[in-house]
Order: sequence, then structure tokens, then C-alpha cells
Amino acid sequence: MSQTEDPSNRGIRIRLIILGGIILGVFLGFTLYLFNLQVVENLIWEGRAEAVSRRSEPLLAQRGMIWDRNADNPLAINLDSYAIRIIPAEIPPSNPDEVSRRLASVLGMDASEIRVKIPGNWHNSWKPVEVADGVPYKTVVSIAESVERYPGVEWTGKPYRWYNNVGSISHVLGYVGNITVEELQILYNRGYANTASLGKSGIEKAFDGILRGKDGVLYRTVDVKGRHQGDDVEIIPPENGLDVVLTIDRHIQELAEKALGPRKGALVVLKPSTGEILAMVSYPSFDPNRFNQPGTGNFNTLSLNPDFPFLNRAVQSSYAPASTFKIIMSAALLGEQAVDPEMTVDCRGVMTLGNRQFWCWKHSGHGPVNLKKALEQSCNIYFGTVGVEYLGIDAISKYAKSFGLGSLTGIELDGEVEGIVPTKSWKEELYHTPWTPGDTLNSCIGQGFLAVTPIQMANAVAAIVNGGIIYKPRLLKEVRRPGMNVVVEKTEPEVLRVIDLLEPEDYDFIREAMRGVITEGTGEWAVYTKSVEVAGKTGTGEIGFDDRWHDWFVAFGPYKTDNPDEQVVVVTMIEASDSYDWWAPKATDIVFEGIFGHKTYEEVIEEWRRRRVWWSWDDKDLPKPGEPYIPEPDEVDE
Amino acid sequence: MKRNDSPTTFLRLDIVLILCVLGLIALGIAFIYSSGMTSEGIQVSEEWIRQIIWSAGGLGLMTAFAFIDYGRWKNWSIAIYLGTLALLVLVLVIGKYIRGAKAWLGFGRIGIQPSEFAKLSLILLLAWWFDERGRGQDTLQIWLVAAGITALPILLILIQPDLGTAFVFIPILMAMAFAAGIDWRILLFPIAVGTLVVVGVLGYAWSEYIAVTPAGFFLLFTEKSLVRISIPSLFGLCLLAGGGWLLFKKKIYLALLYIFGTASVSYIGIAGATRLLKGYQMMRLVIFLDPQIDPRGAGWHIIQSVTAVGSGGVLGKGFLQGTQSHYRYLPEQSTDFIFSILAEETGFLGSLIVFGLFSIIIFRSLYIAYTAQDRFGTYIAVGIAAMIGFHVIQNIGMAIGVMPITGIPLFFLSYGGSSLWMALMSVGILLSIHYRRYRNR
Repeated sequence: MSQTEDPSNRGIRIRLIILGGIILGVFLGFTLYLFNLQVVENLIWEGRAEAVSRRSEPLLAQRGMIWDRNADNPLAINLDSYAIRIIPAEIPPSNPDEVSRRLASVLGMDASEIRVKIPGNWHNSWKPVEVADGVPYKTVVSIAESVERYPGVEWTGKPYRWYNNVGSISHVLGYVGNITVEELQILYNRGYANTASLGKSGIEKAFDGILRGKDGVLYRTVDVKGRHQGDDVEIIPPENGLDVVLTIDRHIQELAEKALGPRKGALVVLKPSTGEILAMVSYPSFDPNRFNQPGTGNFNTLSLNPDFPFLNRAVQSSYAPASTFKIIMSAALLGEQAVDPEMTVDCRGVMTLGNRQFWCWKHSGHGPVNLKKALEQSCNIYFGTVGVEYLGIDAISKYAKSFGLGSLTGIELDGEVEGIVPTKSWKEELYHTPWTPGDTLNSCIGQGFLAVTPIQMANAVAAIVNGGIIYKPRLLKEVRRPGMNVVVEKTEPEVLRVIDLLEPEDYDFIREAMRGVITEGTGEWAVYTKSVEVAGKTGTGEIGFDDRWHDWFVAFGPYKTDNPDEQVVVVTMIEASDSYDWWAPKATDIVFEGIFGHKTYEEVIEEWRRRRVWWSWDDKDLPKPGEPYIPEPDEVDE
Repeated sequence: MKRNDSPTTFLRLDIVLILCVLGLIALGIAFIYSSGMTSEGIQVSEEWIRQIIWSAGGLGLMTAFAFIDYGRWKNWSIAIYLGTLALLVLVLVIGKYIRGAKAWLGFGRIGIQPSEFAKLSLILLLAWWFDERGRGQDTLQIWLVAAGITALPILLILIQPDLGTAFVFIPILMAMAFAAGIDWRILLFPIAVGTLVVVGVLGYAWSEYIAVTPAGFFLLFTEKSLVRISIPSLFGLCLLAGGGWLLFKKKIYLALLYIFGTASVSYIGIAGATRLLKGYQMMRLVIFLDPQIDPRGAGWHIIQSVTAVGSGGVLGKGFLQGTQSHYRYLPEQSTDFIFSILAEETGFLGSLIVFGLFSIIIFRSLYIAYTAQDRFGTYIAVGIAAMIGFHVIQNIGMAIGVMPITGIPLFFLSYGGSSLWMALMSVGILLSIHYRRYRNR
């Protein structure tokens, strides 16, 4: 039995030792590795094990409400509503489509809409899938009553944003929507979850950080398939969003909306002494409450509407200012002391510049006009002559820019456009052609390259009213804590720009001339309000048609006051449309009468009818009172 | 000594080996029970009961195999081998797809995996081959036949496809050939080729999927025009070296031939692997290199398993207290990842016990190989030791993240009848070899 003496046995012994050594060597290596993993690095892995088995669910914070400046009736609220969810794994495998079909019929949806949301591996997917939100309590009750017919269906409270006031105010308020993947990428570090709703436009977007509050978190332990495990629930309560009080007065907003009527355009009511916006109307508008319903009000349908109902024409669209620009021209002439205001130009209805004939709007001519009369009568020949001969484009654009044209006003709404104030270098860079005197002439009467937004014009008029100070236009009056109405934050007027090119008398002069527009000028036959002394300026923009024009009216009132706080600026801009009815001054007139006569739109029209202020009260000529653009109503199942 | 000497029969069995195996089986049942437990303490799986039944049957088989003279397998080894080959073919025809591989033969509710039993039948045939023909013959020829014997089941299992199981046959062959005295230079060749191919394919996976800029070096294996140049030139070098040997009979040429041959075969292996490996197989290699590349998808298993093991600590979270396992973060906890749940709940101490028991089993196997009364017994014991050793290394290595994921079980611990029965039959044969170690001496 002495195997070691056998040489082949000796070889085998060595080989077995080597084999055993290799295997045990690896075992030893693994043991050391395990020692490192389980003993040395234990804390790291323990932490990871904790992290991975805890899953968090957001507890939605109540979005703050939006109020108008009276703060008595909210503009945007949250409705108690429900989201319907399906746990795919609980769908009976025998008849998977049955649940979607039943759910679709009770929710008024299409069954395929539900089915596409259920993942392909629904057999073992325990993660709830949201198939509908904004579901009213009644519907949930009817599902709950026969819950056995809806296996796998559950519901959770999910507040639904509801807008009490829709139409033109919707441009200001904006709307909320579910966060998109792209938005989440950007906002990820600011605490937005992938289930978050966020403001997509308007106030909802601008003050999303204030309104949204802070979602709470509900932690619970779940398994790899998302099933809840155990009862150790930990809750970080949500912080509800703060309420936002706007500078908008919803009565003035309604008045302005109706005054503008069904005309594409914008109307802005601004308090020049503070920059507060009392009303901002843009037509056409939309109704965010109907975005998810089929029909003309559906979001996708509206997006494709050629009238761009989502465009807030007060800030997001720029137009040639036309004759309203003569206010800036007057300021330039006075500020540069280019001409004596009493110097007259003889308007014969036409002037020649180079080989081009240039007509006054009044082809018979105004005769000799000085500055004041030229502004009152909106004489093109006067401003064309003095502009080209005494000012030049450099001075004109300097004054236009100093009044804030061509630059953002900084209003809280996004998508604001700058407009254009042309200069020589601007044209050369863009068109590669030199500036011509004809271009200057066009600029003198607010045509050509000039483009301004209604809010910029409102600022320019405010500068005239304030004697050179423009306050930043704003929509936020204050931020309040909901429930207790504690004011958390109050916005104060902020000076946007100070125009130091003119003397106080110059502003007096322009104000007087603008008053003259109403009393003896172009506005004489359009403004009838007796409640307030209005001063303003008309504008009729050439857009290449013979029978339709962009129609501007910029005004302020009262013309003279000891209390600047009561003054308002109203700017109305109506896009050229088929039925030109020179409506901008009339709309402005209605707004002034409504505000200072404390009347509703209907009451103003009633009085106008009684006073027979307009040329004719034939039904044909009578402007239709405006209805806010509300898409065709659809029957909503209750 | 006489056989059937009843008072000593019991003592002549390898008690230590049996105790280790029983210990592992008991641990296995305990943690299969644990794996079926939800966090609410509800047992949702009957696997532990079935494993007890499987164990009882398996222990019966082990006893039977222990008392069957292992020498009898010698005459049956070819028939058993051919039988398992037939089963491997059959499984390709009528087998059931489970987890993407056609590896199971179903009989009613019970399924068996022929590839498991193919391991044991290969060990028997190789032992017979090395014992019968192993003496006084040219070792290269013996080696080539042995390699051919091993290649057939590997190919059939690769078709299933079950890369992990197929790979187990290679270390079995290498260990038995080594024990049988095959020249180390012959064995070094496949080891060198294998190492080069593995390193090359891993490098390729790293370059393609993880590295920021792929290494241009790997174009050598993937770019067709380059492959067309490389293969003939490598073969040319081999021919030159071979010619030199024939002409000048100088050893330097043989050495060169060896090196060039290794390079050529490795090259073909890497180039072939980059083309043939399926997307998910490539992904397993990639996530082995860097699990974080796809933490929710393919890397999930590795990350969860390592997290479970690492969070176990020194003494573990306690039986039935593992969070990773009871919250079902661990995949396939009762089979492939049984070690993870064990390590989570019993900690480093439990891991040490498992390694200790396996080490003793390996030691005993090799000791039995050494004391076996004939070479056939020696080779069988070596093959079994290699098989068990490699399974442990691969399975636990996977659970702790140092080996790529392959679905091979941890013997005695993992749930599953086929692997348990095969392992217990192997132990039975070991016991038989041990029992008869003094016979005819």
C-alpha cells in the first residue's frame, strides 16, 4: 500500500495537488473578495439596498389659484377630480379587452385610446397606468358602484385645473399641461417629477414656481414589480402653491373684450402711473377647459387654426404703428428743437420725393398746418416734410427707441416680440441696400419697416402721460397664501425707462395736441364719452389693400388730472379685416365710458343707442357687439 | 479486507463528504424556502417542498450509486454517452423553450435537463478513455479523441443555445486530461487559445459598447478586407515554422509553430465570436464589464445580486430578513442566484461556511481520486471535482459580479431536480470509489 513509491502515482499526486490548488486558490480569492464586499464595503451596499427597495410617489400639491385685482372671485381654480388608473397585471387574462371597453364607455372615450396605454407585458406589470384624468366624481361613483366589472381599475384624486373665466383672459392666464419629456430634461433639477403638471403659457407658466407649490412624497417599500410591500409608509406632506393676484380687473377685461368684439386684434388697458395692466385682450382666443374635448376647441384643432388663436396679439405680434407714430415724431421734433412748433407746412394733399408721389390721407390737403394741427389732423405731408428735411432717420429711431419701441417691455408673459425700429445700418445688414429718403418718409408716418406691439404703444403713451417715465408693464399684483389671504409678496412699480430728451412743456404740448385729436381732429367723430376727457391718436395702417387697413387707436384719460392714479392708457389695435369699420377708436371710446362711467359694455351700448352717437343705427352699419372667441360648444356628458 | 463486512460498511463510507453534502442540501432547502417568502411573511412558492422531495429521491440515488460498483460503469460508459447524446438531439426536436433555450424535456409536470446528465456521462466516458487507452500511446492522439468526445455534447448544447452549460464541459476535460498525464504543452494550447479568445472578445465588447472611442485594433477582427489578409498571413507563418521544423529539426521552429498556431486559432476564434455571438450574449459580456451601462435592464441582475451580497455584512440580515430577496429585487433567487439570498441573510459567515463545505467536498474528491484503487476511479473523481469546482466558481462568481452571467446552478443549493440528482449521483459514484479503495490491493 505504499503508493508513493509508484512513479506514476507520484505524478498523479502532484497533478491532483495542482488541480486542488487551482480550485482552492480561486475559492480563497473569492472569499477575500467577499470579505471586502460584505465586511469592508458593507455600509455602501446596505445604503444601496435601502435606496432600491424604497419607492417614492409624489403627493400632488394644490396649485395656487389665480385672482383678478379685486380678489373676490378666482379666475383659475382646482376642481376635485379623479384620475382613472389601471393595474395591468390585474386585468383578467381571459378577456383583456373587456375592461378597456367598459371603461371607455363609462368615460366617453375610445377603447383603443385606453388600450394603447396598457403595456405589452401587462401580464406582470404592476405599475399603475393612468388612462384618464379630469374624471368627475359622478363617473368615479358609477365605476365604484359596480367595481367588480372593472378588475384592475383604480382611481386617485388628481386636482384638475379649471378656468372660471375664459376667452381673452386665457391669453393672460395661459394653461397647464402634463410635463413633456423635453421639459423634464430641462427642469429636472428644479424638483419637477415626471408626473408633474406645469404651466405651458401665460401667467401659469410665468409664475409656475409660485403657483405649483411643492409636491410631497410618499415613500413605501415596493418589490421589483412595483407591488407594495409592508405598511411602513412615510409621508412628506405637500406644500400647496401660493395664490397669484393679477393687476387685471376682470370687469374691465370683460368690457374690453366685448368692446373689441369679434375682430382680430388686441386691446390693452394700462395704468400709466404704475405699469399695472388692467386688461389685456387678444382675439381670437381659446378655452383651456375644452382642450381635451373633441370639436373646434380641441387643443390640436386650435393649433392648426390659421387665425393663430394661441397668439397673444398684445405682446407677441408687431404691426406698423401707422399714424400713432406721429406722437413719437412730435416728441422728436420738440426734443431736437428741429422746427418751431408754430412753423407751418402747406399741405396740398401730395408731395414729391425724388420721382415718387406721396399723398396725404386727405387728398384735398390740409392747407397750412403747424405741429399741433398736423398731429390733430394726422397730416402726412407735414410729418413727411419735417421728418425728411429736419430730422432724418437717425433722430427718428433714437426717439423711437427711447420710448421703448424695438425693445422688450419685460412683461411677465413669455414670447414677447421686440418689433422693429429701423436704422440705416439695420437696413444695410438685412437687405444689403442703402437707406433712402423714401425709407425715412415711410418711417415718419409709421409705415415701412417700423413694427411695434400694442403693449409698446401703451408704454409710449404712458411716457407722454407721465412726462417721460415708463413703468414696467406688469400683471402680478401680489402673491397670497391661500386660505388666510395673507399677502406674501407685493410687486411695486418699477421704472422701465426714463426719457430725458424732452422738457416737461414738450409733454404738455403733445398731450394738448392729443386732446385736440379728440376735440377737433381725426378722432372727433369716433369718441363720444362724456365721463372722461380723452386724449389720443388714431392710426390707419397701409397693408397693401385699398379697402382695409390696420386700425390703431392709442389714448389716455382723463386728459388733465390732479390724481395720476386714476389715469388709464388704452391701446386698441385691430388687424385689417374684411369689414373695415374704423372700430379701434370706437372700442377705445366704449372702454373709457365703461371705466369712468362705471358701466358694462351693454350699458354703454344702450346709452350710445339712446344718444345716437354714431352715424347710423341701421342694422347694417351697427357693429356687432363682440362675443369672446369661444369655440363651438359641445355637449358635455354629465 | 472483505466486502460486505457489515459492522464496518458504514464506517467505510466517506462520512465527511456525506455530511458536507447533507449540510449544503439543508442550507439549500432553507434558502429556497426563504426565496419563496414575500415581505409580508407569506410563502408563495412550493419550491422548497419540491426540493425536499427531489432531495429525498436524490439521496436515494446517491445511496444506490454508492453501492453499485463504479467499475460497472466502465462497460456502460459508451452506451450512456451515446444515450445522452441522443437525448440532447431529442431535446432539440421536442424540447420546451424555457428562458430562451430549448433545454428541457418535459414529462407531464416534471422537466429534466439532458445537458445536466451529459456532464456525468462525459466524465464516465473520458475516464474510460483515459484509463483504457491512456497508457503508452501518443498523448496528442489521446487528447484529440478526448477533445472530440467533449466537443459533441458542447456543440449540441450550443445549438439549444446554452452557452453557460456548454462551457462547463471544457474545464472537466482539461482537469481530467491533466490528471491523465497529457503533456502540459498540449493542454497549454487550448488554455492559451481560450484565454486569448476570452480576452479578445471582452476587449471587443468593451471597445464597441463601453469605450468612448472604439479601439481601432478591433477592426482587425471585424473588417472583412483585413480578415482576408490576416488569416492567410497567419497560416503562412504557421507553414513557414512547420517547414522549418521539418527541414532543420530545430526546436526553435516548433516553438514558433506553437506560437503562430495559437495566434491563428485565437484570431479565428475572436473573429468568429464577434460575428456569431447574439445580441443578448454580447450584452451579457458588456454588462459584466460595466453593469451600470444598463442598470434597469440587462445590468439589473448583477447590480441587484451584488447589492444583496454586499448588504449582508458580517453576520447577515438574519434568516428570512433579507430585503433584496423578499422585496423580489433578486431575479431567479431559488436557482441561479441562491447564493445571493444566502449571503444576504447569513452574511460573510454564511458565505464562509458555504465555501468551507465546498472546499471539503473538493478536497475529499481529490483525496478519493488519489486513493482510488484504479485509474478509472481516479479520473472519475477528478472529473467530478472539476465539475463541482467550476460550477461553484462560475455561479458564485456571477453572484458577486466577477463572472459573466450564465444560467448554471450552484450544486446542492440551487432549486432544481436535474442538477441536484446529477450532483448526488456524482457523489454516489465518489462514495463508491471511496468504498472500494482497498479492493484487490
